Amino acid sequence: MKLGASAVMAPLAVLIAALAWGSAQAALPAAYAAMVVEPAGGSDRAEFDLDAALLRARNENKSLYVYLGARDCPFCRRYEAFLAKNAVALVPHFQARYLVVDLRSALLLQAPKLFFRVGGRSLNYSDWMREMGDERVRQLVYPSVWLLDGQARPLMQMPAGTGTFETVEEQLEILRLVQ
Amino acid sequence: MKHLRRTLLITALLGTCSAALAAPGGLPNAAHGDSSPEWERLRAKLFPGRSIETTPGRLQVQMVAPLRAAYGASVPIKVVSKLPQRPELFVQRVYLFVDKNPSPVAAVIELTPAIGQADFETRLRVDEYSHVRVVSELSNGELHMDSRYLKTSGGCSAPPNRESPELIGKTVLQLPEGLKPNAVTAAQVTVLHPNDTGFELNNQTVMFIPPYFVRSLKLSYNGQPLLSAELDFSVSENPMLRFNFVPRAGGELRADVEDTKDRQYVGRLAVGIE
Repeated sequence: MKLGASAVMAPLAVLIAALAWGSAQAALPAAYAAMVVEPAGGSDRAEFDLDAALLRARNENKSLYVYLGARDCPFCRRYEAFLAKNAVALVPHFQARYLVVDLRSALLLQAPKLFFRVGGRSLNYSDWMREMGDERVRQLVYPSVWLLDGQARPLMQMPAGTGTFETVEEQLEILRLVQ
Repeated sequence: MKHLRRTLLITALLGTCSAALAAPGGLPNAAHGDSSPEWERLRAKLFPGRSIETTPGRLQVQMVAPLRAAYGASVPIKVVSKLPQRPELFVQRVYLFVDKNPSPVAAVIELTPAIGQADFETRLRVDEYSHVRVVSELSNGELHMDSRYLKTSGGCSAPPNRESPELIGKTVLQLPEGLKPNAVTAAQVTVLHPNDTGFELNNQTVMFIPPYFVRSLKLSYNGQPLLSAELDFSVSENPMLRFNFVPRAGGELRADVEDTKDRQYVGRLAVGIE
C-alpha cells in the first residue's frame, strides 16, 4: 500500500505542532486553574508533595484530578492541547467537582525515581500504586491521571495514558466516573 | 478439535483482513450490547443459522469488564454463568471474542459438569476500541451471549516481560486455603509465557517478533477432565485462568499445556481437604 505525501506529512505536522505548543506551554491550560506542584529533589529522586492539594480539596469539598505530565512528552502536549481547545465545554465540569493538580515532571523521571508525599509519608511510585490497588503499578506512563478523594483514595481505576479520553464526551465520562 | 482449530484459523484471518481495512484514528463509541461487522462475520462462520439469546432477563451468562482498563495488553474480564453445572443441563462450551483484534477468537473452552459452576476470569489483549463477547453454549444446544464495549488500545503490540525466558512454560496451579469437600471451589492456573502476538516490533532488528503463544490448556482433577481450552494470542502474556471445580477427597489438580512450538508443559497441585 502506498501512502500519499499528505498521509505521511499530516501526522508529522501534528507531532511538530504538539511539540511546538509543548515547548511554549508544557502545562495544563490556565483556564483549568490547576494547582501546580513542582518536584522537590533532583533527577535521581523527585518527590511531589500532594498534601497541600489534599488539604485544599478537603476544605473545598472537592475531589482531586491529579495530572502527571512531563515537559518533554509529546503525548502530554497532545492532551493539554485537547484540554485547551475544549476549555469552554470542559472547565465548568472540572470546576464543579475537582481540584485540578498539575504535577510537572520529565520523562527521565521513571518509576524508581518518582516519589509522592501523601499523608506525611514519602512513597515511591510503585509502592503508592500497589497501596492504592492501582493496576498501573506495572508501568509508569506519561501522562497519567489519578482521580482521588480528599483522603487520597482512588475514585476509580484509570487507564494508562490519556488516549482514551481525548474527546469531550469521553473526558466527561471520566469526570463522571463512568466505569 | 482439528476442525475447530481450522475454523479458528479462518476466523483469525478474517479478523486480520478487517483490521487492515479498518479506518485509522477516530474514537468510535458504541453501546455494550451493539453488534459490529466483525462480530456478524464471526457469527456467520461459527454459528450459522443458529439463534443466540441476548435478552437480559433470559441470559444465562454475564460478561464483566471495565469500560477502560489500565492496559490494553492486560484487560481483566470475568464470565459469570447463571446456570449451575448439572449433568442434565450445563454450559458445554464458552467462547471469548474480541471483535476488533487481529485474531478475534480469544478462547474456546470445552467444559464438563465436574467444574460445578462455569465462571471464569482471565486477562485479554484488546488492540483497539472493541466489544468483548462471551457466547455460552448449553448442553441442550442453546446459545447465550453477553458483551461489553471496551475503550483501550495497543494490546497486541505491547511488549511482554522477557526477563526470564528460562521460566517459559512454568505452570502454576493455586487453590485457596481451607478447602471444603463437595463445595464449588475457585482455583487458578497461570502459565508463564510471553504469548507473543506477532505484532510487536523488535527495536534492534526492526522485525516483528513471530507469534508464539499457548494454544491449548487442559485441566483435570484426579484424572477426570474439568475443561479443555483452545487459546489464542488475544489472551494476555502469562495466560491465567480462574476456574471452578468440586474437590471430593484430596487428590491432584493437573494442567497440561501446549504452545505453538509444540512444547508441552505440565503443572500439578495436591488438593488437601480439611
